[in-house]
Amino acid sequence: MVQVYELMSGVTLRCFPADKFKQGSLSIQFLRQMRREEAAVNALIPAVLLRGTEKHRDLRDITLHLDDLYGASVGAVVRRIGDYQTMGLYCGFIEDRYALTGDRILEPMMDFVGELLLEPLLVEGGFSPKFVASEKKNLIAAIESERNDKRAYASAQLFRKMCAGDPYGIPRLGEAEQVEKIDPVAAYRHYRNVLTESPVEIFYVGSGDPNVVAQGIKRIFAQIPRNPQTLPAQTAFQDAGGGDYSETMEISQGKLGLGFVTPITNRSEDFPAMQVFNTVFGAGMTSKLFANVREKMSLCYAIGSGYYGAKGILTVFAGIDCDKEPVVKEEVLRQLALCQAGEISEEELTAAREAILSGLRGVHDSPAAIESYETVAAIGGLKLTVPEYRAAVEKITVADVARVASTLRLHTTFFLKGVRV
Amino acid sequence: MKPTVYPRLKEQVYRTVLSNGLTVMVVPRPGFSRKLAYFVTDYGSVHRKFRLEGQEYEVPAGIAHYLEHKMFDLPDRDVSGELAKLGANVNAFTSYDMTAYYFSCTENFEPCLKLLLEFVSTPYFTEESVRKEQGIIDQEIGMNADAPDSRIFELLMEGMFREHEIRVPILGTRETIREITPELLHTCHRAFYTPGNMMLCVVGDVEPDRVEALALAVLGAEPAAVGEKHPMASEEMTCPTPYREERMEVAMPMFQLGFKCRCPEKGEAAVRREVIGDLAAEALFGESSELYLRLYEQGLIDGSFGGGFETVDGCAMLTCGGDSDDPKALQEAILEQGAVLAKKGIPEEAFLRMKRSAMGRRIRDLDSFDSTCFRLCAYHFSDFDYMEFPRVYEAVTAGEVQAFLGEVIRRENSSLAVIAPIT
Repeated sequence: MVQVYELMSGVTLRCFPADKFKQGSLSIQFLRQMRREEAAVNALIPAVLLRGTEKHRDLRDITLHLDDLYGASVGAVVRRIGDYQTMGLYCGFIEDRYALTGDRILEPMMDFVGELLLEPLLVEGGFSPKFVASEKKNLIAAIESERNDKRAYASAQLFRKMCAGDPYGIPRLGEAEQVEKIDPVAAYRHYRNVLTESPVEIFYVGSGDPNVVAQGIKRIFAQIPRNPQTLPAQTAFQDAGGGDYSETMEISQGKLGLGFVTPITNRSEDFPAMQVFNTVFGAGMTSKLFANVREKMSLCYAIGSGYYGAKGILTVFAGIDCDKEPVVKEEVLRQLALCQAGEISEEELTAAREAILSGLRGVHDSPAAIESYETVAAIGGLKLTVPEYRAAVEKITVADVARVASTLRLHTTFFLKGVRV
Repeated sequence: MKPTVYPRLKEQVYRTVLSNGLTVMVVPRPGFSRKLAYFVTDYGSVHRKFRLEGQEYEVPAGIAHYLEHKMFDLPDRDVSGELAKLGANVNAFTSYDMTAYYFSCTENFEPCLKLLLEFVSTPYFTEESVRKEQGIIDQEIGMNADAPDSRIFELLMEGMFREHEIRVPILGTRETIREITPELLHTCHRAFYTPGNMMLCVVGDVEPDRVEALALAVLGAEPAAVGEKHPMASEEMTCPTPYREERMEVAMPMFQLGFKCRCPEKGEAAVRREVIGDLAAEALFGESSELYLRLYEQGLIDGSFGGGFETVDGCAMLTCGGDSDDPKALQEAILEQGAVLAKKGIPEEAFLRMKRSAMGRRIRDLDSFDSTCFRLCAYHFSDFDYMEFPRVYEAVTAGEVQAFLGEVIRRENSSLAVIAPIT
């Protein structure tokens, strides 16, 4: 069970005590409103923090220190959860009992995280211009390399088009033009504001005493003049209209994306039913899309749907021959219509429910899955604990699935096609 | 079944070889809900030439992968559907030298395991179903052709090897897969899907004796003949093509740099060689190396950079890759630093720190069911017990790593593959 501690105003520690893992993990995330003007700088800051501190002055100093902690890792976390963007650090480290006798990992690790957060290497009142310049280049490369993965690119484009009127259309890492504008002094000033005013979510999984973790976190935040602000609640999808879009690239296989909207979000009572619908429709080898578009019609290798509960968006993507767009689109819509009409077999329903239940039963088997479920739940507004969610899924019927399927409306399509068509 | 205990890792592995030849391993994971089972054959895309029952065969490129797709068919049954109903998540993959079928579940473990063993051991191919798969695999080939990270690896393999089958893509081509017939699939199945060529590995809170009993019940007690794979062509250490480049829809140049290594033997020597290779990669361009910092600060590499040592049946290589504005300058820097380290060696203190870090990461990795299962299988096919890795790490010396760098990091052993942006 997750234990929740309000360490001070706006600083929440969630602990999942477990001694079955060989590693402990700790994440510290600051919560921001997703805003076009700050998404890029929020994405940049963790990368800059990981470049050097007053004490460990470059990347190598930091890595050597982590090597001493038995190959511990610290990475940047930047997530988009509904209307919020989170930024921070995620650490993994072996449990003390796997270290040589007498060596301690957890406490030095917490001290080091504090150092990374609070003592970045400063130059003339700002972040190191050298670090900022090189991390800007890397961030732009990361944003632009989205187009290397055609499926990911098509998905990002679909969201940009679909969510023109919603913060959900702002990419997780921001846009390259925004990165260009970042300057080291203003970025540091922004970071000071983040430290002062942003709600903080800390998550720990491991066998360490939660009190030790709590004390470590308090030591870090006691050094900051905190004036925490409350974020506005998550909002429903703000629709600025959809449409049909396409783009060409020199590729051999097209990627077709369909974006649907529904009023059902992870704050709704029907959320578990919508998850079951998504699985019946397009998740996994027993879904209608896989069984029909792939297995029966041999039109694709990859096809699947995804439901974004924070906003109530459902997408379908398929990698297809470029001249097959109409037939694939028609078949996807036909399968949706079948779901809406309740034409779902007992096998399909059981398979979907079992897939979700099995995933939920396994959440507590991986530190990353625990962190991800609990953080996304806490921040995204999902009010269900794992057992509550399971109980709800077990009760879903074909009628429930048909009912939630009927709320879906095709909003936007995006087709990434080869130039030779 | 009796467990072997690994006190350092706080692990146990139950292990046996059944009368039919199948190796069975069970790694208990009390306190976990998830169970993962891998049923794996020591057979992959490179094994295209073999001898079975006195006859020689040379089969079309891509057949191991095609077979993997078609194994999910059983007469009048829907394997995926049945497993889904039991709450299992099933999948498979084909690599250069192995093919794995696996499922994970939280409940109904035994019926799921039975089904896995049944469908993988039961060949059922019809003309129609084999033909129908062409469209699906054509799309998989198309997807890979547009994916720069898989395309660049193919380019590198073509640049590094003259004859080894690793030159040929795992999926084959649209042409070669059209040569595949139900008869050929049956032949490959008969040759390599016999218990003597396979292994079953389970990670989770299960009863080891039940796993053993089920495997015997489904597969039978009798051993069958195993196809004899032709040994892979042994090659000179020089690369046939030092540089290859293609243009694709990418944002910035992407590269893979490979150094051909002597092909290791099997057993402990092979694993020792692999650990040496891993540590050499760490010392040369790992995140805590001098070179990494310099290249990162110069902007020649970014967070996408990474590499390591890899072996595939009959060949071995040290590779690194990522995005870079100037892959050629990067190659020069690596060659130069390799020569420096080969001459100067690695200070003892730095070496110990590197080993401790590498071991710590491997220990953490044991939390992952998938990685544990995969490594136990891959190492078993190289005749080594993966859980022995701490002992091997402790034994390796800085001098061995230094010698390895001197032998491997040479211009004539290297090949560079680049995918450049179209515009």
